[in-house]
This record gives sequence, structure tokens and C-alpha cells, in this order.
Amino acid sequence: MEQALWFGWFRADIIAEYAPLFWQGLRMTILVTLICIVQGTTLGLAIGMARLAEARHAPARQLCRYALRWPATVYVSFFRGTPLFVQILLIHFAVLPVFVNPADGLLISGETARHLKQNYGAFLSGVVALTLNAGAYISEVFRAGIQSIDRGQVEASRSLGMSFGHTMVQVVLPQAFRRMLPPLGNNAISLLKDSSLISAIGLAELAYAARTVAGAYSRYWEPYLTISLMYWVLTLALAWAVRKMEARYGRGDSR
Amino acid sequence: MKAARAFIVAVSGALVALTAAAQPKELVVGSSATYRPFAYESPTKEIVGYDIDMIKAVAQKSGLQIRIVNTPWTGIFAALNNGDVDLVISGVTINDKRKQSYDFTAPYFEARQLIAVHKDSPVRALKDLAGKKVGVVTGSTGDDVASREFGKNSPNIRRFESTPVVIAELANAGLDAAIGDNGVIAFRAQEHKTLKTVSDAGFSKEYFGIVVKQGNKALLDKLNAGLAAVKADGSYGQIYRKWFQADAPALPAQ
Repeated sequence: MEQALWFGWFRADIIAEYAPLFWQGLRMTILVTLICIVQGTTLGLAIGMARLAEARHAPARQLCRYALRWPATVYVSFFRGTPLFVQILLIHFAVLPVFVNPADGLLISGETARHLKQNYGAFLSGVVALTLNAGAYISEVFRAGIQSIDRGQVEASRSLGMSFGHTMVQVVLPQAFRRMLPPLGNNAISLLKDSSLISAIGLAELAYAARTVAGAYSRYWEPYLTISLMYWVLTLALAWAVRKMEARYGRGDSR
Repeated sequence: MKAARAFIVAVSGALVALTAAAQPKELVVGSSATYRPFAYESPTKEIVGYDIDMIKAVAQKSGLQIRIVNTPWTGIFAALNNGDVDLVISGVTINDKRKQSYDFTAPYFEARQLIAVHKDSPVRALKDLAGKKVGVVTGSTGDDVASREFGKNSPNIRRFESTPVVIAELANAGLDAAIGDNGVIAFRAQEHKTLKTVSDAGFSKEYFGIVVKQGNKALLDKLNAGLAAVKADGSYGQIYRKWFQADAPALPAQ
């Protein structure tokens, strides 16, 4: 390909040469981010509720403590207390082979496992690691959000005869969600950026495309500047979406 | 303001001169220590290997003071460019593309590409890998070979940071094959019972060279002189035998 110099130093031709890798990478980054936002939020909600679970009488009281609160606390502590990069490597090279392995996978083995690992191995490990990690952080957002709603509201709904579930869904969560939106938006943006770490296990996302080009040409400005701009545009879009949602759900407060 | 700045410049200049006079300049050697048996970290955190023994022997012959720094492969040429390291010895294959940007010494190792596959694999040659998932180290000669054969944007090429990771992925059945330098692939493959190696006669002979920044002729000449001495007095053969348990092949002088 002809050398194309922009502004006298930017070799645009090497980006053009690898354009398919960048576009596929962009799509993969968006896909991973969206899946992990949805799954991480769902998991975070479940874990957040588990950390707040309480009951007055035995045996539900003990059950809440040992089967819900403790495991949830340990989980959050582990995933917030270890680097995401380490979690990705651990899950991909150690945990996943135990469950999905052509030789002796606990969950899936044989030809299916081979097919799964070869085509979706890095994707699977990356999504699992990122979801588990995001779930831990998001559960804290939910916990803080729920705890920020005055206890009196729960007491009032319960004395009106509403069940715990009803109280949560109809009274507490709608108000808490409004307060949780900004930190949830922050988490979504972190998720998007953290997805770049999955390139270490060979998932062809944006950072992988840049690494490939840098490796092939030993040039660093072009590939990394290109993906920086792409990430930036994506985070701007996410931030815009969160602002829209805040405006939409914040209306109740400013009536 | 101006006077103050001039003073600072003068002082720092004097400091630099002082330290330079106090000891001969120590050259920083960059090597990616994930490349056993060429360069790897021993349990005592020391970087050892064929490359390391060679550069130490060369430095001794040419009277250079060196310090070896573990530099990740992905950033190793950037580190050379921006002066973090003065030279690189890290199993770097001499090729035309790299020669455009860097200067190489004479060869210090003869290399060939080698394919690692599962024991039950029917693969006999590079062309049998078409349509299969092939793992390589980003920007390595194996990456070049695979990119040329299957297209550089092919989703079947999986690129990783280092050879151990590629082999781990292969052993975990995430890949059908791995392509890399013979010394490293052979060493890593024999660690796993389920893997074997396949050589393709189509792979050409290649050579590893020591890399310096383009135009650094003074250092290049010193290294070449040292390397010639190391080859002449038999230390090259000794070091080769120590790491590869075989007789060293003769290397071209250029």
C-alpha cells in the first residue's frame, strides 16, 4: 500500500491496512461492554440485596446471615480486592479449563468443548471475568442506594401490609435508582475501558487491534491514538446516554 | 528568571559531567524475559538464558559495562527508540522490515519457525493450518509468517503477549496450533505431554541479531567486534552447547 502521511507524521496507511481488525475490534468492544453492563447490573442487584438480607426469626435469620450475607460479602471483597487483570488470567487459564475442557471438563467436554474454546474461549472468559468484577462494584452502588432511602419509608410500607418484595420494587428501588444513576454510569464507563484488558487473552477487541499494528510496524502513535479516539467517542456516547436517563428519571424530584 | 534557569542548566550539566567521569557509562540492555531458553527469570529473579550469556560475553570482549533490564516484548522497540534501553537482545529475528528502522549486528543465532500442535493433529505443514486457529506472539516472526499465509486481518490468527501464554492456550485446547521460533517452541512443547512439534521445510533459515538504534554506529561496531571475538575463541560454541545441548551451527559474518 502507498504510504499515506497525515500532518507529516501520521501513517494513515497502516491503519487503513488493518481497518477490518479495528472495525471488528470496535464491534467486539461494544458487544462485550453491553453484555457486561446488563449482566453486571443484574448480578449487582442480586448481590446488593443479598448483602442487606435480614430476617427476625430462626431459621430464616441464620439462613440470611450464613447463606446470603456472608457469601455476598466475601464475593464483593475478593473481586474488589484483586486486580481485574489477574482475575481475567485466572478465569481464562485456570478456572475455565476445569469446566470446559475437551479431555475432562466438569461442565462441557469432548468436541463441543473444543469448538467452544476455540471460537468463544477468550470471549467467554472475558465476559465472565468482567461481569463478576462489575457485579461486585455495582452491588455496592445498589447497597448504598437502598440504604440511602430513609428507613421510615420501609417501615411505613410494611405497616401498610406490603410484603418485603413489594416494598422494594414499588417504594425503595424507584427512589434509589434515581440516586444510583450517576455511579452506575461511572461503572459503565469503567467497564468499557476495562474491556481492553481482555486483549491479553487474545480477544480481538480494540486494544488487540492496536497491539497487532504496533507489533507489526513498531509504530505506536498511529494505533494507540486511533483507539484512544474510538474509546473516547464511546465513553462520550455512554455519558450522554446516562445524562438522558438522569433527566428522564430525575423528573420526579424536581416537580 | 533567565539567570536562574542558566544556573540550573549549569548545575545539572556539571552533575552529569561528574557522574559520567566517575564511572564508565553503563549500557542498558533490554530483553524480554519470557523467552526461555533465550531469556527468562530464574527463581532468584536473575535474568538468564542463551541471549544473556551471549551479550555478557560480547560485552566482556568489547569492554562494555552492561545492565540487563526485563522489557516487555510489545514495547521493546519503543524502549529502544526513546532511549530507555541502549540495545536489545531478545531473540530478535533480522528481517528487511526491521532493518528499515533499526540497525542489527551480525547474527548470533540461527533460527527457524516451528509449529506446535496437539499430538493427535493431522497437521504436517504450514498450509494444513488454513482455516484453523493459530496462535502467535504479537509482532513476532511467527506473526509475520501467519499473516502472510492467512491474511493479516484473519480472525483465525490469535495474537498473544508471550510464548508461554500461546502454549498455555494451545494446551488448553483454545488453539489448533502455535507458530514460533524453534528454540522456544521446542522447549515449551516438551513441557506438555499432549503437544508435539511439526517443522515445515518451507520455513527459511533466519538469524537473530542484537539491535541498536538506527545510526548508532559506534555501539554497533563495538558489538560486532565483540561478537566476532566470541565466535572466534569458541565461547559461542560453549554457550550454544550449554543451552541447546548440540553443536553450534556456523553463522554468516554479516
